[in-house]
Amino acid sequence: MAYSELIKNFEKIRSYMRDFYVYGFRSRGDFEQKSARSYDNERRRIESWLGDSMSFRQDASGKRVFISVDQREVPHNPLYRALKAKSFTDRDITLHFYILDVLADGGKLPLRDIVNRVLACCQEIAEEEFLPDDSTIRNKLKEYAALGILKAEKRGKELLYYRNDAPWDREGWRDAAAFASEVMPLGLIASQLLDKMPESADYFGFKHHYLLNAMDSEVLEGILLCRKEKKNALLTFSTRKSKAGMHQALVYPLKVYISAQNGRENLLAYSFCEKRPCMYRLDRIHSVRAADAQPDSEKLDYAGERFSEHLWGTSAGSGRGRRLQKLTMNIHVEKEEYFVIDRLKREKRQGELVRIDENTWQFTIDVYDAQEMLPWIRTFTGRIESLVCTDPEVVKRFYGDLQEMDLLYGGEDSDFS
Amino acid sequence: MIFHELYSTYYNVVSEILTEAVRGELSGERIRKIVEEKAYLESGLSIPKALEEREWPLLRENYTTPIEHVPTMPLTEVQKQWMKAICQDPRIRLFDPPIQELKDTEPLFEAGFFACFDRCSDGDPYEDRLYREHFRLVLLALKERRGLRLRCRGKRCRLYIPERLEYSAKDDKFRLIAHSPKGTPYVIRMSGICQLSLSEKLAEEETGSRAEKETVVLELSDERNTLERAMIHFSDLEKETVKLDDTHYRIALRYRKDDETEILIRVLSFGPKLRVSSPESFVRRLRGRLNMQKRFQGFGS
Repeated sequence: MAYSELIKNFEKIRSYMRDFYVYGFRSRGDFEQKSARSYDNERRRIESWLGDSMSFRQDASGKRVFISVDQREVPHNPLYRALKAKSFTDRDITLHFYILDVLADGGKLPLRDIVNRVLACCQEIAEEEFLPDDSTIRNKLKEYAALGILKAEKRGKELLYYRNDAPWDREGWRDAAAFASEVMPLGLIASQLLDKMPESADYFGFKHHYLLNAMDSEVLEGILLCRKEKKNALLTFSTRKSKAGMHQALVYPLKVYISAQNGRENLLAYSFCEKRPCMYRLDRIHSVRAADAQPDSEKLDYAGERFSEHLWGTSAGSGRGRRLQKLTMNIHVEKEEYFVIDRLKREKRQGELVRIDENTWQFTIDVYDAQEMLPWIRTFTGRIESLVCTDPEVVKRFYGDLQEMDLLYGGEDSDFS
Repeated sequence: MIFHELYSTYYNVVSEILTEAVRGELSGERIRKIVEEKAYLESGLSIPKALEEREWPLLRENYTTPIEHVPTMPLTEVQKQWMKAICQDPRIRLFDPPIQELKDTEPLFEAGFFACFDRCSDGDPYEDRLYREHFRLVLLALKERRGLRLRCRGKRCRLYIPERLEYSAKDDKFRLIAHSPKGTPYVIRMSGICQLSLSEKLAEEETGSRAEKETVVLELSDERNTLERAMIHFSDLEKETVKLDDTHYRIALRYRKDDETEILIRVLSFGPKLRVSSPESFVRRLRGRLNMQKRFQGFGS
């Protein structure tokens, strides 16, 4: 089949986009699981979609392709362009414009009238073999009614179709859409709205701006639709350990956890196999299919709420027990270092913070997985008077890492323990 | 069906081409120009050909069309549901989008369905009346390219030239990026403004200032999944990664000079799996933090 810059299935290209964006150091030969031709085609497509956002580096082992941008300078996520490259047939695009045009006067027309008027338009230009038959046009009308851009109304035995034109104040939505496209979940929809506006608002900037979530838009949409309809979802996903192997799980979506510090999204869902709430990384979910069963949503939501009370981030630790770990950290704060206390207060999440003497503040928390807190704890290096945890591995790792860092940076005295 | 051709770049571009055809303004040259400006890099090979060779029978040979109305498309149901859902967010309500047309639409998700667990808890007061009024005026100044006379707590009232409004998802704060009439750059917290008024319209040539950038070079040792974590964590910054061997990588990160302390903290969070190799000033600051920690040796074991 001839090369086209459009694609039928987004899932296929998702991993390439992710690789070019997140890693960016692999060359053609490193994509072992894919054929060279497939790599060349996908890379060419991504280059065509993203243009200036792509960078290249040539070295002895080949050409490296990567996507690198200072996201504070990007008012609009360039990765959305990939999600606007869905392929279609010649008939799809032709019928789209003719159907919406014959209904543009606001009239309600039966299938027969629509067919006659669309064919009259096509016949003038198209070859005989191109002309669509009644059922093709009927299917397109049904599809558009399901998407909500057309409505169908029964009159006698006949079904009348008309446009579902509600007034939409584009200007009134311009700023909200420009902001939402970069900040709100499923911002792709705002980006689609902006495409219909003559000018976009270019006076917004975004710090701590992560673009990669765009790649998971289809998955998130599937999850939201299941949740809205109060339906279970059948997830097909991979894990870090399983690599290429796929798993399936029947779940009820409870909440989506978003990290503002790396952009990663996780689904908290009740797993009917595990019989408890579990986390699923959205970037590892490959498909979401609505299942018919109607769960007891109130009960499951309650289980989810209870479960989330002791999460620090998204980890519930290893094993089935989910025993709580208690962590206490004493922080030394000099008189003029009020900014450290401010940072503790705004970043402590559900932890408790109390002042225990003039220069010492004590942070205490009960969580499922205290290991998950280590990156945050390390950011207070230089001020940690003591660290105590019911999981001794946490303390051991913290002080072991400090020692290792001291060696890395050439410290003279490495005794942190 | 968010990945659907209805929302595609091709449909949008063809819609624009047909708009000119309906108005009788279209030519082959215009088709190519619209495609070049609005579509993908290689779309010039496919869209003009498909239209001119009637693979998509929408244009006559003389670039007119049987289509009678300027093409428009109603919103899809999922778009409306999403618009309704985001209006529950106080940040979106700052923009006051019209919601009358969504009154019969069910939101796509509930307000509490998304949880941002590591966002700072002292975000801006989006529901505060004065904050909302200041926000409205700042937006107006940016749109109309006007100056702003504003006073922050403990400061005197001054004239600023607004450049953009910057939002941080981590801090949950808006900051006004601006400069003085003499060109001195300022970053002003929206929540710190206590008095604000619009000033005169600016001359067209007023342009923004460029932030000064630095590069920090990191050596990464890929244990405990550090590579993936670091690559995702720093993906908001301009970066280049080189593989040194099977488990070691070199990452060059570009950051703004005024963000250095924040970058230092972010690097520290990775512990010994991420080592700063340059610049020396950055290494010194890290070493300083480690030496500070030695005050407390003997604790915690």
